[in-house]
Amino acid sequence: MNPLHIEPTEFTPKVHFDPENSIFEISGFSRPENVIGFYRPILKWLEEYNDQVLSLNTEYKKMLLTLNLKMTYFNSASSKFLLDILLEFMKFMSKGNEVEVNWYYEEGDDEIFESGEEISDMLGYSFNFISYVP
Amino acid sequence: MVQKENILAHFGPLSYEEIGFLLNRMSAFVDKQGMSITTKKKVYSAMVESLENIYKHQDIISSNTDHQPRFTLYLDDKEFSLFASNSLLSHKVPPLQEKLEKVNSLNKEGLKELYKLTILSGDVSPKGGAGLGIINIAKVSESKIIYKFEEINNEYSYFTLNVHITR
Repeated sequence: MNPLHIEPTEFTPKVHFDPENSIFEISGFSRPENVIGFYRPILKWLEEYNDQVLSLNTEYKKMLLTLNLKMTYFNSASSKFLLDILLEFMKFMSKGNEVEVNWYYEEGDDEIFESGEEISDMLGYSFNFISYVP
Repeated sequence: MVQKENILAHFGPLSYEEIGFLLNRMSAFVDKQGMSITTKKKVYSAMVESLENIYKHQDIISSNTDHQPRFTLYLDDKEFSLFASNSLLSHKVPPLQEKLEKVNSLNKEGLKELYKLTILSGDVSPKGGAGLGIINIAKVSESKIIYKFEEINNEYSYFTLNVHITR
């Protein structure tokens, strides 16, 4: 399956989903003018990834999927879609795959850190919180 | 007398690019003042949600120039004060007022819980709103949201929101 790569813009984040290495990254700023138009293809890609890659893995040993979220800002409409993306990963986990969520936040940015805590709490799933200096 | 500085002002229809322009000007101002990243993110968040609300509802602007979209941001020695106004169909006033009263009745934990319930249950509307904007504004505001509705005519009202964020 081909990777999904979306270059960042002034209003939208960078997306890089690498199925070969099982690393999935969304980073930057999210305030798309058309939030549905931006996020729906990403969710569709994840559904196809499930059908074309995960469902075909019949081995006992499943995969470790790493989701790196390094957001600098996301508006409320984007938060709904970020949650939907995470819910897809929760489904992957329920099929026996291991999921690691790394939530990056700029040192001192309590808003992004607390947003991550809230989303983690909603999912009932622990994230790794990693601070960075820009 | 406390000096109140007008940092930003916008009057009239708003484009998506202009929202970005206003945000960049606020960010540059906050950085220049040496304020914390958390303060900046709070003001940023309240601005995005209120400006996007104006942007989404300006298709129903009354021809009356008194009721055009309006946005202003002030700063005094204690806090930022943000005003955002737009016209809306009067039948949308009661549910919006109910939502504002609801968020104003909740503390931080209650707002988190309402956010959680809304995001897990609500669908995103065709305009992209997830019903979360007002809750987000209440979360970043240190005090209750102040608001008023003025009747323009039989069909439209003019909504003004005022939010305070500690500097």
